[in-house]
Amino acid sequence: MQCKIPAIGIASSNIVHYATGYNFKYNNGMPIRYVSVPFPFTGQPRAVDVGYVTGKDMLTGQPLMTAVINALTSPLTAEEKISGAPPEEAVEPRFLSPDSEDNLRRLFDDKEWTDFNSIILPTEKRVTAMLKGTSHKPDEVIKTINITGGARQLTVEKVAINAVMAGASPEHFPVILALATQAPFGNSTSSMANMVVVSGPIRNRLKFNCGTNAMGPYNRSNAVVGRAFTLMSKTAGDLRNDVNAWETLGNTMQYNNMCYGENEEALPEGWDPLHVEMGFKPTDSVLTVGTGWSSIASVGASQSIYPTHFLMRDYMSSFCASGSAATIVMDPTVAGLLKDVHGFKTKAQLSEWFSRNVTKTNASYWGNGVIQSTAVPFALQGLEPYASWRKLPDDALIKPFTNPKAIHVVVAGGKVQTMWFVTDFGIRRGVLIDDWA
Amino acid sequence: MDRRKMLALLGMSPALAAGSPAYARTAPKAVPEVPSGDGTSEGLITVMNPAIAGKLATRVPLVPPLDTLQGKTIYMINLSWEGPDAANYFYGAMTEWLDKHYSGVKTVVKVTAEGMFGSDPSILKEITASKADAAIVGVAG
Repeated sequence: MQCKIPAIGIASSNIVHYATGYNFKYNNGMPIRYVSVPFPFTGQPRAVDVGYVTGKDMLTGQPLMTAVINALTSPLTAEEKISGAPPEEAVEPRFLSPDSEDNLRRLFDDKEWTDFNSIILPTEKRVTAMLKGTSHKPDEVIKTINITGGARQLTVEKVAINAVMAGASPEHFPVILALATQAPFGNSTSSMANMVVVSGPIRNRLKFNCGTNAMGPYNRSNAVVGRAFTLMSKTAGDLRNDVNAWETLGNTMQYNNMCYGENEEALPEGWDPLHVEMGFKPTDSVLTVGTGWSSIASVGASQSIYPTHFLMRDYMSSFCASGSAATIVMDPTVAGLLKDVHGFKTKAQLSEWFSRNVTKTNASYWGNGVIQSTAVPFALQGLEPYASWRKLPDDALIKPFTNPKAIHVVVAGGKVQTMWFVTDFGIRRGVLIDDWA
Repeated sequence: MDRRKMLALLGMSPALAAGSPAYARTAPKAVPEVPSGDGTSEGLITVMNPAIAGKLATRVPLVPPLDTLQGKTIYMINLSWEGPDAANYFYGAMTEWLDKHYSGVKTVVKVTAEGMFGSDPSILKEITASKADAAIVGVAG
């Protein structure tokens, strides 16, 4: 439906240049007239937001209401009348111009194609060797990346280039291609992070670390696969700092994306591996990506005075519970305690316990911007429990993890400490790695 | 950036699209030929390009603006970006300002049912049915 009336946008100063620049060029195509207010806009006292109306437009410096009136009434410019397909941009050449190693490294950094750590330069010989790791054709399009516009077609060859850059070997390539189906990684004004979990027989075949230091810098497969996700996300997403990547703090987890394998051999009896819980066979090799923001670690050994799952519950209450999502990563010794001492016979039982027992105040729940953006619309539509929660007093306790199936448990680690992480990562459907061999 | 969806729906004019100047397409630049092999030649290295050409968005013209705000009806659409409260305060103050300086302007504030991640067909329908004259969409950030 089109209304065919003049419309203008109002955006805060933090993103208005993205809206009028990259977003207009690659995503929207309409030269929307914007008026801009200072940032932050939400979270301010009412008087501040009201005061912006009699303040200045951040784009033109005019009084804001003058800018609003001008945007609604000033005649169209020639630029604003343009329609139709734009001129083609120069295609990206398959090869870069020959140059010295130092100059090429500088170029890759200048273009922001790297994570600013050293890369393996992707010569054709190396990329050809990488492509031998799959039966898929180099020009096969895996997906179209359109996170901030541009509709870039990510092909098997482009993924191979990134895999070489990350330091991977051809045997890693099917895993990295499976990962490419999940690219790019999270990119928002808040500072997102990802988790890459490898499940099934390929963990052992490629020697992924599932034990001691599973999440640390001590294993090649964990390192190169996790890093490949970063590189392909940046190159295929054209993600550049302050152009279309504007995570205000960024997230150090984006260097490796928490890539590790589940320690399936150390699972307590009755606790299924992550991919089996999703319906895959134990003999399937599967890659799973989670996305969120936060990870909180336990410190020191579990104590009988306050059981481990109580402490996990307390920590989880600090999460926003967007989509009811959480992922808990625990050492096998913790899983053993939870099963043998506290009676959780399956991961699902533990997830259900968290869903029933994690509480937070109503104000704390609604005091999160992601929840305001995602759950307020549900409440306004009358969907429960959000509609009822909106009417509760601020100090009322609610149970925000409404869906136990969105609370995942992964077991990793080397039985050196009763250690665990709780995260707010939402786990996506796993990808069968064998499909990419 | 899903406010663009609503803005596009509000602002695009097929009539203008038919009558406006269109871009001329230019031929893509030739891809340079390079030798295969190990990528080295006289101390120089040839490497493959990880970048992917982005597709530029098809240009959509704006509809003609208003001559004046006097006597017009303006919808103020609250996207609930990070929550609806701040935009409601802001739109309330804009309404007061317009009442004071443009007594003939009628304003209608609406909060989208789908928030910042979707358009709201019921609002678009209402705008069309009420013959509203313009819209302000926000506040993004």
